[in-house]
Amino acid sequence: MTSYRLPQGGLIDRGHPLSFTFDGKALQGVQGDSLASALLANGRRLVGRSFKYHRPRGILTSGAAEPNALMTIGSSGRTEPNTRATMQELYAGLEARSQNRWPSLAFDIGALNSLASPFLGAGFYYKTFMWPAPFWEKVYEPFIRKAAGLGRATHEADPDSYDKCWAHCDLLVVGSGPAGLAAALTAGRAGARVIVADEHAMAGGSLLSETAIIGGTPASAFAEACATELRSLPNVTLLTRTTVFGWYDGNVFGAVERVQRHIATLSPSRPVERLWRIVAKGTILATGAEERPLVFGGNDIPGVMMAGAMRTYLNRYAVAPGRTTAIFTANDSGYQLAADLEARGVRVSAIVDPRAAGGATYAGKARVLRDAVVTDAHGGRSLAAIDIRSGSRTDRLKVDALAMSGGFSPVVHLACHRGGRPVWSDEKAGFLPPANFGGLTPAGAARGIDGLAACLDDGARRGANLVATFGFTATPVAFGTVEGDVPVSAPAKTLWSIPGGKGKAFVDYQNDVHRKDLDLAVKEGYGHVELAKRYTTGGMATDQGKLSNVNAIGLLAEARGLSPGAVGTTTFRPFYTPVSFGALAGAHHGEHFQPVRRSPLHGWAARHGAVFVETGLWYRSAWFPRTGEKDWRESVAREVVNVRRNAGLCDVSMLGKIEICGPDAAEFLNRVYCNAFLKLPIGKARYGLMLREDGMIYDDGTTSRLEENRFLMTTTTAYAAGAMNHLEFCAQALWPDLDVRLASVTDQWAQMAIAGPKSRKILQAIIDEDIGDAAFPYLAAHEVSLFGGALHGRLFRISFSGELAYELAIPAAYGDSVAEALMATGRTEGLMPYGVEALSVLRIEKGHVTHNEINGTVVPADLGFGKMVSLAKPDFIGKAMLQREGLAAPDRPRLVGVVPLDPADTFRTGAHILAKNAAATLENDQGYVTSSAHSPHVGSTIGLALVKRGDERHGEEVVVWNGLNGEFTSARLCPPVFFDPSNEKLHA
Amino acid sequence: MPDLRALPALADRTPLVSHGIRLSPLPEGTVLQMIVGPDAPDQTANVERLANESGLAARPLSPGQWLLIGDKPTRRADMKHLLAALEPQASGIDQSHGRVRMRLEGPMAVKVLAKGTAVDLNQRAFPPGRSVATLIGHIAAHLTRHDVEDFEIAVLRGLAEACWIDLAGMCEEFV
Amino acid sequence: MASLVPCPHCGSRPKEEFTIKGAALARPAPDADPDSWFHYVYLRENPRGAYEEYWHHTAGCRRWLIVCRDTVTHQVNTSQDAAAAKGQAA
Repeated sequence: MTSYRLPQGGLIDRGHPLSFTFDGKALQGVQGDSLASALLANGRRLVGRSFKYHRPRGILTSGAAEPNALMTIGSSGRTEPNTRATMQELYAGLEARSQNRWPSLAFDIGALNSLASPFLGAGFYYKTFMWPAPFWEKVYEPFIRKAAGLGRATHEADPDSYDKCWAHCDLLVVGSGPAGLAAALTAGRAGARVIVADEHAMAGGSLLSETAIIGGTPASAFAEACATELRSLPNVTLLTRTTVFGWYDGNVFGAVERVQRHIATLSPSRPVERLWRIVAKGTILATGAEERPLVFGGNDIPGVMMAGAMRTYLNRYAVAPGRTTAIFTANDSGYQLAADLEARGVRVSAIVDPRAAGGATYAGKARVLRDAVVTDAHGGRSLAAIDIRSGSRTDRLKVDALAMSGGFSPVVHLACHRGGRPVWSDEKAGFLPPANFGGLTPAGAARGIDGLAACLDDGARRGANLVATFGFTATPVAFGTVEGDVPVSAPAKTLWSIPGGKGKAFVDYQNDVHRKDLDLAVKEGYGHVELAKRYTTGGMATDQGKLSNVNAIGLLAEARGLSPGAVGTTTFRPFYTPVSFGALAGAHHGEHFQPVRRSPLHGWAARHGAVFVETGLWYRSAWFPRTGEKDWRESVAREVVNVRRNAGLCDVSMLGKIEICGPDAAEFLNRVYCNAFLKLPIGKARYGLMLREDGMIYDDGTTSRLEENRFLMTTTTAYAAGAMNHLEFCAQALWPDLDVRLASVTDQWAQMAIAGPKSRKILQAIIDEDIGDAAFPYLAAHEVSLFGGALHGRLFRISFSGELAYELAIPAAYGDSVAEALMATGRTEGLMPYGVEALSVLRIEKGHVTHNEINGTVVPADLGFGKMVSLAKPDFIGKAMLQREGLAAPDRPRLVGVVPLDPADTFRTGAHILAKNAAATLENDQGYVTSSAHSPHVGSTIGLALVKRGDERHGEEVVVWNGLNGEFTSARLCPPVFFDPSNEKLHA
Repeated sequence: MPDLRALPALADRTPLVSHGIRLSPLPEGTVLQMIVGPDAPDQTANVERLANESGLAARPLSPGQWLLIGDKPTRRADMKHLLAALEPQASGIDQSHGRVRMRLEGPMAVKVLAKGTAVDLNQRAFPPGRSVATLIGHIAAHLTRHDVEDFEIAVLRGLAEACWIDLAGMCEEFV
Repeated sequence: MASLVPCPHCGSRPKEEFTIKGAALARPAPDADPDSWFHYVYLRENPRGAYEEYWHHTAGCRRWLIVCRDTVTHQVNTSQDAAAAKGQAA
């Protein structure tokens, strides 16, 4: 294939060739190429097939707006679909594949869609695939998905790492073209903290494609010199390959840096992409302007290209666009391109200008046709000829490349991410960013400034003004005379489409939306800009209409007889360009997905063979299997029986523990619990119920009075964080007049429950004080001395299992040693570890509630705690609402036990209760099983349930109905305490 | 008498060292959380004095709250004495086992931390000697800047290992 | 993606450091009539514009704040410690 690479010039390194593949074929580019420029240099014009009609498509732009040249890059887990070839830097070994073609790019069966095109017009989804409904899922959608689409994501795991970070600055400059560089240098020299971000590999923006001379230096060398100075300033960070994709509340900008997307051999220790969250006091939006295509027949044939892009490929990459070129331009930028092409020896056969008097300064050889338009382009997989209409005459001209320029649209996206709307300017013939919306200052072409010198000047001034508001004395940097600066000058008339063409005239290339689709949308009543977008799909998908939206708005305006300003734009939202999920997730996957919270007894549990279960962030020991046990049930049953017979040790360190100090601590507790706490004696623990303001139970636990003004509250594991927040709310927001001091001490203590008839004997062996029933009765709570004063801890005589039981709290680092010491001394007494599964069986046997029962709909009386509530107290959280009539209604669901009639039968948690012989209907629902377990003590499944009037129905025969499995179990309601109802064991 | 050994939360972790960055566990010594009552007059001077007397460093945690931190464990009697000395204007809560500290230092320390916290780590905004409470990644932490490139991080004991693993990951590109 | 909430004690911090509770309403007196309690517990305005809410700086100073936020622009107009605000109101 012929090379289109020019023998000299360009910002490329010819001495550094790079091999790459496109659809499996080996090609060569050079260092400094983009994938797009390398393909063009190789004469590869056809690079993809269009979305709906599978038309041949070529490279249209040289930047982020590229709608056609989307490729799949890489392989296996590194497959990256929909990569814009214009933004992908070439590296050795790059593998690129075209998309949306089958069986091959050159011969694509889907191109038959073009023949069916009347059928595929705007709204075709809605009209064509309406009936029959089941066909949507089975026929239409699979068909559409196969026929129309972009690249496919891989199912393999991404082997690379991603990273996130924060950055802070006085001034963020988005874009490093003339305005951006001028603003950044001005602010940087003044000492402001500056971050400059540019999406390309090199700083400079349009300067890199420019032939002008600035202060005696060629534009590209000028850009390099500016970048070098910026990098030398300690207060400036220059981020290249970094796209600022969104503007968020609090002046935070999101940006993604492609750290290793341009490298052949990745460093495994570095991220491939880094997500930046940049907090800026002020921002210069120097994003430049996007050139608009012209809408004429066949304007999508490979070889038709944006004029600015052609200039970039020519000047920056030294790639000739073709052998014979024509330029269709509605402004003076096309003449500059013509001059550059001719200077590089590329023939320009015609400049077609719809204006009467454009290009006054052009002195080249090309024929200039004024008052003329290109109506049609012809060719299959490559441009062959164009039709030029001048007056009443149409001539065909053979060319293999055509540049087009319909005008310039400021890139306003970021300025509109927080609700601002762009403003139409007739003078600039484009939408301008909203004026100074919330500290974001547009500069240069992004606000419609025309010409290189004017953009440099505007950037410098606006940068100086902005940092002056932060207290910096800045002088706008002056760069000297600019030679060869040809202002583009606004077109005499905006040209939304060229009438008279025969071929399809595309408005949105990526979504295959052509002029007639927009006409149809208006005709069918979808002319509103937001409706037209959905009806035609124009402006959707990966490019979000960067090239097409303004033309579409212009066409809608024409059809509706309005100004483009009156039609308005669709809503701009992040992201400016697609951002990978990897970058958004950052390091938070795998073991970093969420932090693991470890109990100080984790090592002890692991040594004793614990199987762990995730409980929030904690890993709790669930059970401790022993050799020969065939399943977890057997292990759990053995642990339960051993606690009832001998003793067990369970890690309860993850229960929430809060110290409550200060002179008003007792009063505070009295207000946050529904039961009384003022008179709790020192050295005693009490069970407490915390309500919400609506009267429902929030959480439960014990609170011990350690000193007159020092209490220790325990909460459930799940509600530990919430309860602390709640207490802080009560202390700070509700009753700041109370002197109460709160501290979470959950992590300070290793806490173990030692439960069972032999627990006292085992503990007494290591505790110095007498813990006999007289000295240390039920609900005693004291500091204790261990091992002859070697260590101190806290001992609480509380029981979740219903057995004689204690909880021992040890300063966390010593927990491991103490647990092992207990295991050693307790071995002869049969002490075994037990996990949360056994703990759960034990508490269900004893009828103790957890958040299975405290489900947000129960009041104390529902669980049999009615008498605990101290309505005599003047105030407590939930008091007022608890006294509502409905919460005392006689048929409320209340706690009850349930056992199967046949001990061999079983039922599950969540199953519903029906009266005997009642049909399984919602109306007959009596309540549900909140907790269930196999009870070794009872010898069958047992359950706790919330059942209407449950406490009055002990002994009633019912049916437990599992609607999911269609199971019905005959059962009997009973008191919710299956074990030791007289609490003899507890008080032993 | 069994072998009573304090088992540090980061017992298994050896320092991560390179030219750019060093991450190391700090000794589990003394951490005392001190909370002043809402109506008490400014206790800053008092806190500094008490900390000095006890060989501890006082670091602000929240309005009216400090962490008093030292590398050595405080003896039980001394701790009782210190707690009593705080009352009644303030209360002390022993968190010596509840918080675990680690140190991050080196020329890349700021870059590493910026991956986790949204606090502006510029020296002017966050000078040496200052402490802040902030999220580092997903973990709430108390961060103290000792010197330009020298930071101390204190987290809940249960999250110490997770924080270490996260920080080690953040350091990876500089190791 | 990211946004900042000003804390009067800690400065601007990302929203991830906070827990939001909802409307900053004054708690009625314990013996207030049922209607007042009903309003306090269940009824919420849904204003377009300024809205006062309780925010907790959970991963920072752990203070409860009253943050006044514009529901249209997300601009935070004021942010003050809830205890201090209550002291001023009293």
